[in-house]
Amino acid sequence: MFKNKYSGFLFLLLCSFNCSNHSHNDAGQIQITYWCANNQYEINLAKAIVSEWNQLHPDIPVRYQPVPEGESSEEMILAAVVGKTTPDIYSNMWAGDVEFYVRANKLLQLDQFSDFDSVAAERFSDDVIEQMRSPDGGVYQLLWKTNPILMIYNKTIFEEAGYSSFPSSYSEFLQAADKISIDRDGNGHNDRWIGVTDIRARWRDRLFDFYPFYISASGGKTFLKKGRLAVDKKAAIKVFSFFQSCFKNDYFPYLVPSGSHDVFLYGDVASRITGPWEITHAEKLKPEGFRYDFSSLPVPDNQNGPSYTYADPKSIVIFSTTKFPKESWKFAQFLIRKQSDFYLLDLTSQLPYRRGILSDTLFKSYFKKNPLMIRFAEQANYTRATDSTPVLKELFDAISQEFEACVLYQAKTPEKAVEDMINRMKLVLQ
Amino acid sequence: MKQNRIGWLFLSPYLIHFAVFLAFPIVFSLVLLFHQWDVVSPLKFVGLQNFTKVFQDKLFFKALFNTFYFLIIHIPLQIIVALLLAVILNRKIKFRGFFRAVYFLPVVVSGVVITMLWNQLYNLNSGLLNQLIQSIGLPRVAWLTSPKLAMPSIAIMATWKNVGLYVVLFLVGLQSVPKSMYEAADIEGASEWQKFRKITLPMINSTFFMVVILSTISGFSLFIEPYIMTGGGPMNSTLSAVLYIYKQAFNFYHMGYAATLGFVFAIILFTVVLIQRKVLERDVGY
Repeated sequence: MFKNKYSGFLFLLLCSFNCSNHSHNDAGQIQITYWCANNQYEINLAKAIVSEWNQLHPDIPVRYQPVPEGESSEEMILAAVVGKTTPDIYSNMWAGDVEFYVRANKLLQLDQFSDFDSVAAERFSDDVIEQMRSPDGGVYQLLWKTNPILMIYNKTIFEEAGYSSFPSSYSEFLQAADKISIDRDGNGHNDRWIGVTDIRARWRDRLFDFYPFYISASGGKTFLKKGRLAVDKKAAIKVFSFFQSCFKNDYFPYLVPSGSHDVFLYGDVASRITGPWEITHAEKLKPEGFRYDFSSLPVPDNQNGPSYTYADPKSIVIFSTTKFPKESWKFAQFLIRKQSDFYLLDLTSQLPYRRGILSDTLFKSYFKKNPLMIRFAEQANYTRATDSTPVLKELFDAISQEFEACVLYQAKTPEKAVEDMINRMKLVLQ
Repeated sequence: MKQNRIGWLFLSPYLIHFAVFLAFPIVFSLVLLFHQWDVVSPLKFVGLQNFTKVFQDKLFFKALFNTFYFLIIHIPLQIIVALLLAVILNRKIKFRGFFRAVYFLPVVVSGVVITMLWNQLYNLNSGLLNQLIQSIGLPRVAWLTSPKLAMPSIAIMATWKNVGLYVVLFLVGLQSVPKSMYEAADIEGASEWQKFRKITLPMINSTFFMVVILSTISGFSLFIEPYIMTGGGPMNSTLSAVLYIYKQAFNFYHMGYAATLGFVFAIILFTVVLIQRKVLERDVGY
């Protein structure tokens, strides 16, 4: 009696262990599992692309699945890697995480495929291909989409202060800040500011204030060159000084953002550092008559040349656990072909990492309908991703600590803060 | 034999739970003490390197200091407020049952919800507290953005959240004091303060002891409040030991190092509670 019960229980247990993400269907044929982001726009995109693929390639069926819900998709991917339940292919990996998985041999090297060079050359500039390359020389990701970081600004407030366009240099910005940051209720403290940034000392927050400004001030440099620390000290000092002035003079508030009160849309701040996702957000929630536009980040005085910024890129990766590397690579190519890039832009309002997108006739109708996206598409040519290093978060933590001490609490000079930041980065890299 | 099997079957839910959620994590964390592990790569043996790193880690000592600073504010405040409320609620006042329920309410509400609520209250520019303060002509207070005030502000919030539990404990203690003692004191002409000082306090010292131990342990595990409200800032002034361990483990995936920090921290906690027991147990009459 008991034996039977035990064997039934064991059978159920074994069956449940057998349910995994991979990858053969019932008939033992190939099936690719593709994870997309779990917002509705990207689910719709995955549905459209996968359905087209399945019609064209019935011999290699693809099953799409939104990345499971969690605090962040990064956490869910990590959980999947640890639990060995990774899909074959994933299209929303933060490029900063790629090296972490490369070190652990969890990603497939893509330039091992003979047609990699031609596929990459069709979509990416040489510069971008180099950005995709890991320190070991291999390419393990395809930069899929980019959210160039710009400034959104309230046109009405700036026009009232006498500015027909957004300030382009630090001194112009600070002059405008002096006019725009005011005490409206007369309690002795500003209650309207020119800008805002998250004051919490979390490493990821520096991706959306210090880092884009540093890239911009340094003319497009990142922190590492060929795996070695190569921080542009002068640029870093200028950026720390700039933000320090903003907080010291009460041009930026000491504010932890709240989900219930959007300080930009309520007119409490006149600008903020943001990406193209802001368009959907603003269009949905802006008060009547609210006018806004985007501009490049301000740069240090007397700086010439194009203004670079952070790309905030997401990549397509193939996990090394895949049983169908060639087929997955073929599907990855399908994801980055021109028509799929158009779907990406049209269905999600996110920019594909494709060169020449503004001059391509396929995309013209979209940009005509969505002129604000043109600014992001123009800026996309002048973006940088993060460095390829498995200790990226520690590097940003070092920045965050010094940003807080120097910028928010003025406990250090910008020179000292940059020196301490570089010393800590050296330690981390050791 | 069959009876044995039935016994094991009934025991198995707990045994499985114990093995998966207690025994395995404890044993594995002991293994991690001597390894470097980033969750996705294989374990790498590093000997005692994690321990030497702990003793050179200034930020860990800062986090420890912050935790003790929090305890120094939180425990006395918690005990004083809880005892005061318990004494009031032990008297025959109107709506006593209602007040008892109200004070307990924050205990059962999610810590995250309460923390977000207090985040709004403490807001420098639009928070209710600063609006009240400014309405009486005083300057606004940087509750969470001043390195000096952030930890006391968190301690006040944590006290507000937990006080209901300790009110209940003190109420139980107060109700166990024999009424005859107060009657005898009344006959002797003792004042209210004398009765409280000479009868109530000595008679509830076992409850007092329990409250100190419980609030020390809960205080040592300070995490949600700084995690949500300040992220450990400003200038690491609210970085608690547990938050630091969490950051090492789940932000940077230094699992071996985080396990070592946890181990050292557990020893410190154990030592503190042991000292408290030795000191307080001398006066406890069970």
